[in-house]
Amino acid sequence: MARHGRTWMLPIMGALMTTTVFAQGAMTDVGTPRSETMIVQTFDGRSSNPSAQNPLNSYAIWRGFRELGWAALWEMDTATGESYPELADGFPEVLNDEHTKFRVKIREGIKWSDGEDFNVDDIIFTFDTAFKYRDKLTNVSAITRLVDSYEKIDDHTFEVTTATPVYDFVTRMGVYTWGMPFNWVPQHVFEPLGDEVVTFQNAPAVTLGAYKIKEFDPNGFWQLWELREDWDESGWNIDEEPAVKYVYYKDFGTEETRALAFVQNQYDVDTFMSPDSIEAAKARNPNIETFSATFPYHDMNDACSYGIYINNQKAPYDMPEVRWALALALDLEQVGISAMSGQFKASPLPLADTPITNPLYVEPLESWLEELTIGDGYKPFNTDFGADLVETLAAQGVDQAQLPSGDAVEAGFGIGWWKHDPEQAAKMLESVGMAKGADGFFTMPDGSPWVLEFVIPGDWNKVLQRVGFSIADSWRQAGFNVNARQVDNGEFGTVQTTNARMELQINWSNSCTYNANWQNSWRNFRADNVLPADSNDALVQNYARIVDERIFDIVSESASLEIGTEEFVENGRQIAKYLTEDMQMINLMNIPTTIPTNSTYWTNFPKQDNFYAAPYTWWSSFKKTVTNVEPTGQ
Amino acid sequence: MGALVYIAKRFGLYLAVLFIGLSITFLLPRLMPINPVDGYIGQIQSRANGALSAEAIAELRENLENLYGLKGNLFTQYVDYMKRIVFSFDFGPSFTYFPQPVSQMLMAALPWTLSLLLTATVIAWTLGNLVGLVAGYFHKKKAASILEFVGILLYPIPYYILAVTVLLLLAYVFPVFPLSATFPVGQMSWEKVGMIIYNSLLPGITLVLAGFGWNILSMKALAVATTEEPYVIYARLKGASNWTRMTRYVFRNALLPQVTALALSLGMVFNGALLTEMIFSYPGIGLVMRAAATGGDYNVLYGAITISIIAVATAGLVIDLLYPLLDPRIRHK
Amino acid sequence: MTIDSKEMDPVTLVETPQAAEPGLFKSFLWLINPRLAVGLTILTVMGLGSFILPLFAPADPSVQATYMRNLPASGAHWLGTNALGQDIFWFLVFAIRNSLMLGVLVAVGVTIVATTVGLSAGYIGGRFERLVMLIVDTFITIPLLPILIILGSLIRGNTSFFTVGFIIIIFGWAWDARTVRSMALSIREREFINMARFSGANTAQVIIREVFPYVMAYTLVGFINTILFAINLEATLAVIGLSKVEVPTLGSIIFWALNYNALFTGHFLWLVAPIIASVTLFLGLFLTSTGFNAAFAERRGVQ
Repeated sequence: MARHGRTWMLPIMGALMTTTVFAQGAMTDVGTPRSETMIVQTFDGRSSNPSAQNPLNSYAIWRGFRELGWAALWEMDTATGESYPELADGFPEVLNDEHTKFRVKIREGIKWSDGEDFNVDDIIFTFDTAFKYRDKLTNVSAITRLVDSYEKIDDHTFEVTTATPVYDFVTRMGVYTWGMPFNWVPQHVFEPLGDEVVTFQNAPAVTLGAYKIKEFDPNGFWQLWELREDWDESGWNIDEEPAVKYVYYKDFGTEETRALAFVQNQYDVDTFMSPDSIEAAKARNPNIETFSATFPYHDMNDACSYGIYINNQKAPYDMPEVRWALALALDLEQVGISAMSGQFKASPLPLADTPITNPLYVEPLESWLEELTIGDGYKPFNTDFGADLVETLAAQGVDQAQLPSGDAVEAGFGIGWWKHDPEQAAKMLESVGMAKGADGFFTMPDGSPWVLEFVIPGDWNKVLQRVGFSIADSWRQAGFNVNARQVDNGEFGTVQTTNARMELQINWSNSCTYNANWQNSWRNFRADNVLPADSNDALVQNYARIVDERIFDIVSESASLEIGTEEFVENGRQIAKYLTEDMQMINLMNIPTTIPTNSTYWTNFPKQDNFYAAPYTWWSSFKKTVTNVEPTGQ
Repeated sequence: MGALVYIAKRFGLYLAVLFIGLSITFLLPRLMPINPVDGYIGQIQSRANGALSAEAIAELRENLENLYGLKGNLFTQYVDYMKRIVFSFDFGPSFTYFPQPVSQMLMAALPWTLSLLLTATVIAWTLGNLVGLVAGYFHKKKAASILEFVGILLYPIPYYILAVTVLLLLAYVFPVFPLSATFPVGQMSWEKVGMIIYNSLLPGITLVLAGFGWNILSMKALAVATTEEPYVIYARLKGASNWTRMTRYVFRNALLPQVTALALSLGMVFNGALLTEMIFSYPGIGLVMRAAATGGDYNVLYGAITISIIAVATAGLVIDLLYPLLDPRIRHK
Repeated sequence: MTIDSKEMDPVTLVETPQAAEPGLFKSFLWLINPRLAVGLTILTVMGLGSFILPLFAPADPSVQATYMRNLPASGAHWLGTNALGQDIFWFLVFAIRNSLMLGVLVAVGVTIVATTVGLSAGYIGGRFERLVMLIVDTFITIPLLPILIILGSLIRGNTSFFTVGFIIIIFGWAWDARTVRSMALSIREREFINMARFSGANTAQVIIREVFPYVMAYTLVGFINTILFAINLEATLAVIGLSKVEVPTLGSIIFWALNYNALFTGHFLWLVAPIIASVTLFLGLFLTSTGFNAAFAERRGVQ
């Protein structure tokens, strides 16, 4: 095939070589100097509607808007999990004991990207618009439900009354992790439109951040941002001039073309490339680097963790024995090796084990995990999970120098995971009357066939797609008749919200505890968010189908506690214990985010040993990256 | 008079086919296990990082169902849909990118898909038929078998593999073309047009290679069959040269079914759009369709499939109407 | 484009061979020519091989981590192992078997439906024919790929692998039916049909005994081509993840090889093996069908 291709192509190629000049080097293909441009693979591939830039409706968020375009009252420092003021001048003043009334000051001298002043009038106008068109705008309900009333005090001060007591006003009006539920719009652009704001496209958008849109592709493959000359008057609260003049977001296509283009130094930062491709790319281009120089190589500090969510309301999954059997039958070591070449960090608790969460939740619960017993006194926890994994990887020919040793094993691969013990799993199933049938598969308690519906993402999340198929394989070998269904993201969402369709699903949306405020994902565990097991109505946010009354009580009690107090955090640990001891969800691992960088044109990217911010290009951390990177002069 | 009746009947059939096709189109996406409202709410939730209250979500759901026109029973929705399409060719708004109208999204993508695929199809057809004719006319010679073998080799290679291999060879091993082209936007200039053409060459070459094989094989088969016809044998006895026999006798007669095939394949270019656009990052309707299918964006799917059905049905109509002009045998009947 | 192959299948466009008189089918010896011999040999070897070899498989090839990952080709693993720890050779053997089974299933279905519909429409004519042709034309008009994308998201994983086959049948029979019907049309007016009718045969008898033999030659060629079409279509669906990818097929191997980026990581055997297998299988099918065609043409010449 290849031979044929070549002989056919040579004459054509010769002709093309002489007639076209293919310039590579000095300038990018959008006409900016390469040495001043940082090129980033987009988070979501291609956007189907790049000219939708009105943040009051759904819009093309992944084209740099989150990190370069908008600014929030309070942003989040991704290295520490702490909020910091951005548009706001300091933190809000709480005006009453019920925690429902707040006074916010904004900084003076902030300008929109078209040079107009940003002030409280813009904020009041945005509130007005959101409330006036709340039934027509599709991205305002977060604010219209949180806020009850608002009032301008002066050009740089306003007050807000919330509908219910709010202890995390800063993160709900600002940013939690990366999530930015609400954006301010420029009054001078939107007001003249009158009722047409509901269909207004707003392209190119007038923004608040230090960068402005220079050009964007109406076909959705790329968008180019340029540093504002008045960057020091932008919404970003920065003193130092960003080093990058242009940021060029582009979708480089399928993983095949991406990997090749990355090796050819055509761009600087990738996202979600699979471990195999990164390994091959590193071998071909020494400038390509992973987050960490040693195993498991990638960034494991995402706010969420991957887990198997279980329909706890549906037989036979309503029995803790069945859920524990699934966890013990799962060979996570093998899954991690088959799906991710062993590059992952296991986490037995229902959250990600990061430098921020570890001292709060993981470390205090470590001895509890070791002592945990289930059934007839069986101890399911395996503290040696990491050490075993190191051994297996070494046996498979991984270079010892690349593998962690000593304390680094726990830092790299986690504190441990559940034992892989299919025999114990079988015992637990037998204890509730589920034995293997003639076909070698476990049956329901009444002896009828049991097919486990296991929903996993399709190729829109390659890592989970692989992990899912490997888990299914692992279960099948232990005697579970699993039907692994890879689905599109639309169907994934539908399964997530529909009890009748859901049995087992790989998911992450209820295990996103980023810092001491565990409410972000666990406040959704409450009785109102439970629907009947066979319901076809859309479930709200309790996607893990938690029905444990003890947890509901803790959640409601914690709503009126000051966040971050010992009592509050202890409540979070208690929820984690309940979720774990009854195996209400099978947490697997931190999200292994692969963000390889190419240091041909830029250096000093955030890395494990240079952790000035999270390495993500779609979080606020990217604001730090564009300021801290250094040009190589190439 | 007979001709008029024929045309009227054929046109009636055309309309009937369109009607049934559109009705099936309406039903199919609704069988999908995706609720577009859920999809959108999921997006908003993740953007708000789970901070949305249950009430906020209920409010959003209510709004979206109203805005998307998903209220009311299936029959009402069907009547609305037919009315909109027949009278104003309007497919409503996209769900995923509300309030963007579907027709606007499709119209932006269509010229890209059509220009690339139509050109490539015509080139593959022309080249393939020429090679096939030579292979078929001289089918007793060894060299002809080699030509045919090229066809056999190219035809079964899965398109995806062929495309990735071409990409690997011509953009990586011999970097003649960009791996992932950037198509210029804004005011068009000759330079930009040149860049678009240059960037389209790689997908174009792949499409030609993929379509080439089939054309060789079918033309070869037709030419072999035609070569056996008595009038070709008669021409040889009459002393006509090889060239005359090949072009005037065999080619003209073998071409007729190939013209039908070309017309039909022009109507079906949408089938080939998806993979090409995925692999070569080429903006077009295939990618729009794929995104719509994954997100349950019914309206966009309706729009794309409807346009495709109209294209194929129209191509069929045109062939049937033109065929008598091309083939004297049918005209006389 | 694999998808288009059916709509414009090379052999169906070839002028229909004039079927031999009924009765000549008693002896098949006249059929044999070199092309046919080679084609049939390839098919027999691949067919028998892929059905018999699985009985000797050392392990279920679709189970992950059976062996070490990414082993090179050796005596123990003729084509090495893949990134999932599966033996590529055995996976391929099962894949050829499953792809062939799917192809034959679809071909049987399409042939039965297309021949029945086409023959009855062509022979009975009138209002019945117009109605049937309306349905046929509608099915031809509906674009296959978008429909399969939609149906794919509906069916994948939900049901067995052979459901994919049924869906291909539903959207694949119409073209053949159209061809069969046009052949039946031309036969309808022939003298011997009238003879049969006058001698008291009913419609079904006439269709089966008198018309079918004429269509038989085409049916055989069409059958083989449909096998090819189905295998290719399943492969395309698998590559974009719409088939049941845990079942070994020629398409699912390619799906996994691409998923683990075999081309870029230099794991060529994983990707090249199924392609060579598909090309060989295609060659066998193609030679067989053109061989039959040639045999029929030869026969005509002899007469």
